[in-house]
Amino acid sequence: MTQKMQAPKHHAASIVKYKMELRRAIRLNDKPPEVNFLNITAMLDMMTIILVFLLKGMATSSAAIPQSKDMTLPTSIITSEPAQEGTTIVISKTQILVSDDPHPVVLLPSRDSLAQSGIDAKYKRNGPNDLYIVPLANALQAARQTDKQIRQAKGLDPNSSEAIVIADTTTPYRLLIEVLFTLGQSEYGKYHLMVLSGGSKK
Amino acid sequence: MAEQLSAAQRSKVRRLSQPKEAVEGEDAGELNIIPFLDIITNVMMFVLATVAVTFTATIDSTPPSLGGKGVRAAAQSNALNLAVFVVNEGFSLKASGGNIATGCTAPGPGLAVPKAGNDYDYASLTECAKKLKDASADFKDETQVTITANPGIDYQTLIRAIDALRRSKEGEDLFPDVHFGVPR
Repeated sequence: MTQKMQAPKHHAASIVKYKMELRRAIRLNDKPPEVNFLNITAMLDMMTIILVFLLKGMATSSAAIPQSKDMTLPTSIITSEPAQEGTTIVISKTQILVSDDPHPVVLLPSRDSLAQSGIDAKYKRNGPNDLYIVPLANALQAARQTDKQIRQAKGLDPNSSEAIVIADTTTPYRLLIEVLFTLGQSEYGKYHLMVLSGGSKK
Repeated sequence: MAEQLSAAQRSKVRRLSQPKEAVEGEDAGELNIIPFLDIITNVMMFVLATVAVTFTATIDSTPPSLGGKGVRAAAQSNALNLAVFVVNEGFSLKASGGNIATGCTAPGPGLAVPKAGNDYDYASLTECAKKLKDASADFKDETQVTITANPGIDYQTLIRAIDALRRSKEGEDLFPDVHFGVPR
């Protein structure tokens, strides 16, 4: 009885036979290894591209408009798309900037002084009551020449340019009109006053 | 009789012929980019959290001219020709018929829309503009208004006045085309 239960004993096969069996078994089991971890390279590529687009979009969008103590945009109920074309004029509490030039065209005096007679008479063409700001006009003329060429290249009317005015909420009307008047004298025929949209009527 | 493998040889063959597990990392030919992914994700979260989402719009206008008339399209002789003056005490409105009296009911002296307490009454300005526009069928297509302000009036007040004149409470367009005048 015990002899039946015991497995038949075999002698070890030759090395040739053993290797042949091993090769056959390896060949039968040969299949590509199962990848059981996540390949995130594609997702990484996608996220990197999204990040680049996000940063690039931010640089050219409204988020690039400086918002600080010196420059706060007024709010409006208007929700139309902002104009993108035109020379940018920034009127902050302390200075006026034109285009991308970081150097101020005019340094502004106190608000009380501005509300009385606008910018200092030394910057005006004909005394304190004049609306024409000479340094601003000079800067605008240079910008106008560039814009003129761009408009010609784009097939737009080169006789008049457009300006985007980004002004602080506290800008007095007198200063705003001086800037707009100077723009008009410098062949800028249309203005876009930049505001933050989404405000409510009070 | 065919040569048979022993149990030990069969076991060894089974063990050695098992497919090898792919190892994560360099052994599998993959860069370990998880730390880089963590950095990118953190940067993205930081950028999204810190960026203040602001939506801007622009109000279009034309150059002001001396005398408070602005540059506006030629209006008919029977046009309303609305002009709004923002003064320290409120809004003064003028039309072809002359100065609009207080209460915005008829021509006459006084401020059409005086301040309500210390604040400008923008709601009344909207109502007044609507009343004037509805006064005659000839004014229905008129969309231009000239705004002039005292030198010290701030930009935000001006923008709110423009908003008040832009459309009525019901959403009907009133005077969306704004021109700026220069006070004499």
